[in-house]
Amino acid sequence: MLQIALAVILWRRGIHRQFPVFFAYLVFEAVEQLTLYGLDVFPSVSTEAWWIACSVSLVLEGFLRLGVMGELFFHLLHSRPAIAKVGGRLITWAGAVLVLLATLAAAYAPIGNLAIASRAYILQQTLYMIECGLLLFLFLFTASFRLTWDRASLGIGLGRGISSSVHLATWAVMANGALAHRYYLLDFLNMATYQFCVLLWFYYLLIPQKIATTSAVPLPENNLDIWNRELERLLQQP
Amino acid sequence: MNLAIFIVIVAALALGVILRLAVSQSLQAKGTTDLAVAIRPIDTEAFRNLINPAEDEYLRRRLPPPQFRAVRRARLRAMAVYVQAAGANAAVLVRVGEAALASADPRFAAAAQQLVNDALLLRRNTTVALVRIYLALALPNSGFAAVRVVDRYEHLSGVAMLLGRLQNPAAAIRLSALR
Repeated sequence: MLQIALAVILWRRGIHRQFPVFFAYLVFEAVEQLTLYGLDVFPSVSTEAWWIACSVSLVLEGFLRLGVMGELFFHLLHSRPAIAKVGGRLITWAGAVLVLLATLAAAYAPIGNLAIASRAYILQQTLYMIECGLLLFLFLFTASFRLTWDRASLGIGLGRGISSSVHLATWAVMANGALAHRYYLLDFLNMATYQFCVLLWFYYLLIPQKIATTSAVPLPENNLDIWNRELERLLQQP
Repeated sequence: MNLAIFIVIVAALALGVILRLAVSQSLQAKGTTDLAVAIRPIDTEAFRNLINPAEDEYLRRRLPPPQFRAVRRARLRAMAVYVQAAGANAAVLVRVGEAALASADPRFAAAAQQLVNDALLLRRNTTVALVRIYLALALPNSGFAAVRVVDRYEHLSGVAMLLGRLQNPAAAIRLSALR
């Protein structure tokens, strides 16, 4: 419900035009959860049918989450052409390495009695491993170049970062058969984390940033004449 | 089970790094005053001498190989210090430029944008140059050229000065040591 409320407010304020993929993700996630809940309580839907629906929705959700990553990357680099190319190459390589690692981790995960459920857990682990790795890369890349995030992008990135790392841990536990019979605790942790992230998005996307300074940044003492002479001398060198 | 524990640890580390970087990003956005104080002047001429291939060639001809390798390593270490300082200055200038972009004064926009782009290019080049310096430290007989870093640094100095002139006609950023 929080997500639907957030999506409605984003729509009304026109923020959805800035982050169309994130907006689509919010709407999809809300619809997905309601649909899966409806299928779960509907008696004529078999367990296997539910898991098939769940797996299909997970794949679609995974694509949308990767789209959100792309959107964050675009917001970060579209005004910085100097590093857009190298950034694009690096994130492509990082993505390829992460896909490889996630595939290896999936290959080692056991298949339980209900194979389709195990595969869904492994799928979740794989998707969150890729997303969490890409987000980590994005934050490290930004920090290494001392780039500044805009408030909304930082909020979305932080929310997805918290959500993907917690979900990666919980789905890895489930996919590898640990903590059997206590999955409901992990479900609660996942839900609580996600609701916290939605509240974080409310804060970052809807509460305006305080403008600390409106004047120019103060600059140090200098001597322009000496500087100019120095530059001219250097430029005249063969 | 072992894999699950490993992934949980990695996820916890990733969460810690993301949270730390996000917090430092928020603090960075707030503290944009006194940025230019962090800039360390660099003697570009001394750096240019240090990376001059002719000087390396001269030393190679005059010194016996073991002594040449020792001198070359010392020169490379000094070069690394210069490049690190240039990279640190570029990082500060990225923030100075982005702060100027956020000031919403259209007069500064073009100069600030150019400063950010040039500082980012320099930062990228210093990273590549450092990798090459450390490779050359391992193989001191190999050739090495960091001339592009110097050229970029000089260009960046000009852009920083332009932005400084726009913001405060009486003062501007100085990136190179006075001579």
